[in-house]
Amino acid sequence: MLELRHLSRHFGGVKAVDELELEVRQGEILGLIGPNGSGKSTTVNLITGVYKPTAGSLHFKGQEISGLAAHQRTELGIARTFQNIRLFGHLTVWQNLWAARVVRQGGWAGFRERWLSGARAAREQAEELLVFGDLAHKRDLLAGNLAFGEQRRLELIRAAASGAELLLLDEPAAGMNAEEIHDLDQRIRLLRQQGRTILLIEHHMELVMEVCDRIAVLNFGRKIAEGTPAQVQQNAQVRAAYLGTDEIDQSKPSPEAPHHA
Amino acid sequence: MDSLYFLDLSQSVIDGVLFGAIYALIGIGFTLIFGVMHKINLAYAAASIGAAYLSLLVVNVFPAPAVYLVAALAGGALGWLIYLVCFRFLPLDNPMATLMSTLGMLLAIEELISHITRGMPQNFPALFASTNIEVGPYFLRGDLMFVFALGCVAMVGLLQLLKRSRLGLATRAVAEQAVAAQLCGMSVNNTNASTFVIAGFLGGTAGAMAGAAIGVLSPLMALPLTVKGLVVTVIGGLGSIPGAIVAGLLVGACENFFQFVRGVGERDIYVMLMLFVFLVFRPGGLFAAPGGRD
Amino acid sequence: MDFYLGLAQVIGIHTLLGLSAWCVLHTGQVSIAQGGFFAIGAYVAGMLTSMAGWPLAPALAVGALAAGAVAVAVGFPALRVKGLMLVVATTAFAEIVRLFFFNFKWRVQTAEGLIGPDASLGFGGIRYFPSHAWSTLDVNLLIWALVGATLVVLAWLDRSRVGTLWRAVGEDELAAQSAGINLTAAKVSAFGIGGCIAGLAGGVFAHYATHIEHNNFGILLATFAIAYPIIGGLSSLAGTLLAVIFVQGVLLEGLRFIGEWRSLLFGALIVAVMLVRPSGLLQRSLGLGLGRRA
Repeated sequence: MLELRHLSRHFGGVKAVDELELEVRQGEILGLIGPNGSGKSTTVNLITGVYKPTAGSLHFKGQEISGLAAHQRTELGIARTFQNIRLFGHLTVWQNLWAARVVRQGGWAGFRERWLSGARAAREQAEELLVFGDLAHKRDLLAGNLAFGEQRRLELIRAAASGAELLLLDEPAAGMNAEEIHDLDQRIRLLRQQGRTILLIEHHMELVMEVCDRIAVLNFGRKIAEGTPAQVQQNAQVRAAYLGTDEIDQSKPSPEAPHHA
Repeated sequence: MDSLYFLDLSQSVIDGVLFGAIYALIGIGFTLIFGVMHKINLAYAAASIGAAYLSLLVVNVFPAPAVYLVAALAGGALGWLIYLVCFRFLPLDNPMATLMSTLGMLLAIEELISHITRGMPQNFPALFASTNIEVGPYFLRGDLMFVFALGCVAMVGLLQLLKRSRLGLATRAVAEQAVAAQLCGMSVNNTNASTFVIAGFLGGTAGAMAGAAIGVLSPLMALPLTVKGLVVTVIGGLGSIPGAIVAGLLVGACENFFQFVRGVGERDIYVMLMLFVFLVFRPGGLFAAPGGRD
Repeated sequence: MDFYLGLAQVIGIHTLLGLSAWCVLHTGQVSIAQGGFFAIGAYVAGMLTSMAGWPLAPALAVGALAAGAVAVAVGFPALRVKGLMLVVATTAFAEIVRLFFFNFKWRVQTAEGLIGPDASLGFGGIRYFPSHAWSTLDVNLLIWALVGATLVVLAWLDRSRVGTLWRAVGEDELAAQSAGINLTAAKVSAFGIGGCIAGLAGGVFAHYATHIEHNNFGILLATFAIAYPIIGGLSSLAGTLLAVIFVQGVLLEGLRFIGEWRSLLFGALIVAVMLVRPSGLLQRSLGLGLGRRA
């Protein structure tokens, strides 16, 4: 569904993303992991159109999208959530969904739906999402006044509200407790069951290993491993990236050495 | 169009570049405040003119050069006052509030000057007015040269201050990362206030320079100076001092160019259009600001 | 009684001006250009009735549409930049308009003599109201009917998806983009509608004043325009109306004591309000996130 070919993004001398080759298959949940600074967020920004690639290309459903503006990509079917929650704080929960609803009809009906009051179909869809996100009873509260977990749920359903087929979730588990993460796990699976494809960027390893079909690992802007969760866990390079090299540096004191006061 | 026309035209442009030092200083002032506080002080140019007026109070007491010094000092004082009234107690995350309040201040200062002077332009002492240097076919006006030199001194002084002094370091630190700077023990309020004072010194100097170059001070100068100063800041790049310098001279030159070609009434239209061209093709300005995203 | 009717006229026109700024401010854009659109509407409508003998309604409509069209045309390049650069761009635009009318000369021979804009001398003889025997009350009814209609239209827009999209853009442009909202369309549409309303206000003003000149459309007018929604609180339309009444009321009362220092009072008033209640008079939650960086 989504293909990144030779994708690169440089900031001056820094190669944030370097010759990245990635494929997200329809209907799968693909995890994207890597240490801090490995280029995960940059990749998301490249896919959604916040950055333009320095080199390489992006293909969505067969179409080259590097030249498209961000909102056009959302119209095509790519939506995202943000690492730092970016809700429309002074709009209500309902209005957040309504604003995000991308209208794909043309003609008069499309115009009416896009610019005037939403038609019945739009409202029904949004109501469904509210129920899905357990926020139906809070629909008239200002988004900025919601609890943290509720805000994360709203971000999730807002991304779904655009009718997107590919959802990019940027560290949705950050700051969540175990119960909330379990909830998130269920919701992601449900979203996939409803026919969506999901690209999950996460640091929370348990969640990633649990919910993803495949995982890709980035380090220094390059892909260093790809495969099923089991395969990735065994991969020596991945371990090295996260934990450092195996050899013990002779010049440093060993961990068992007594501490000096 | 003969060679005489081009001679006159280029003479005009040269005069414009010299005058442009004034715009450069105002642009630097705007950009300095923006760089540190991420806000625009719309009252800046008005305060600069105000400082020049204040310096007129001592014109009969001190020799002419001291008047410029007094203007600079008055500018600093006014800068501090504006900081106190329009910025210190206003919420940081509400940019509209400071915009409105400095706009209100601009109106207030302009009106105050108008009423106190009953709308009569005041003569301003110009130094070296009768000295002219000939370079080839061109005359370099003494008063404009003086203004330009004064501007250069001010710019160099500022750059030294920013690069060498602790205050300059604090200013740059706060501009980059206000919270981190606080955690390092720098008082953000004091740094901000100092920035306004320093910008005020520059502004007061610029106000005096404007008075010297034009020969008179008038409250009607406040608004055009504000607008041109902002144009300079944007063309040069918000937050960039070298940009403001280059843009200031550029705007000064273009202003005189357009005046020569199309007359005084239409001159500013073209200067503003120049701004629009920049906005469309190079919104970041000539030199993009260091650091800050957004 | 006549005094209050006169005051009502001014309040009405200023309310329209404030509402035009409200539209634009809603999308998070600060526009100092509303005075420019006001001027365009004034000149166009004035010219149509006094020089071409048009009836009032179509003249006002064309004036509004002309201003709206210019707003859309200017909006496309100007709205590519945000925040403070937009302030500068719109200020420059307003100055261009003012300078244009400062130079604009077009007079025609009519039954009453030579009528038309006369460059710096202004544009007099817009005598539609007197020649059609409109009383002050009649003019008031017209103005307030227009205010009422505008309030209804804007309230409806605000309630509809358009208003939600505008506010989403005003809250967080990045999130809005990612949610599939076309930023340019949203911003330009708000700008255009705001321009129309300002043009309408200008057209009415021209007939109310019977003589207009470039000085009417300067920074003071632009300040009024954005001051009303900001002082009134951006989340409500009623706030703008309240702010107009408040500001004009205070100014009027103050006039009795301070005489001619109207602008000074206005400036000081703005500064004071920003110090005391920076989010506006009718703001329920403090700290509207317009232009705030996340």
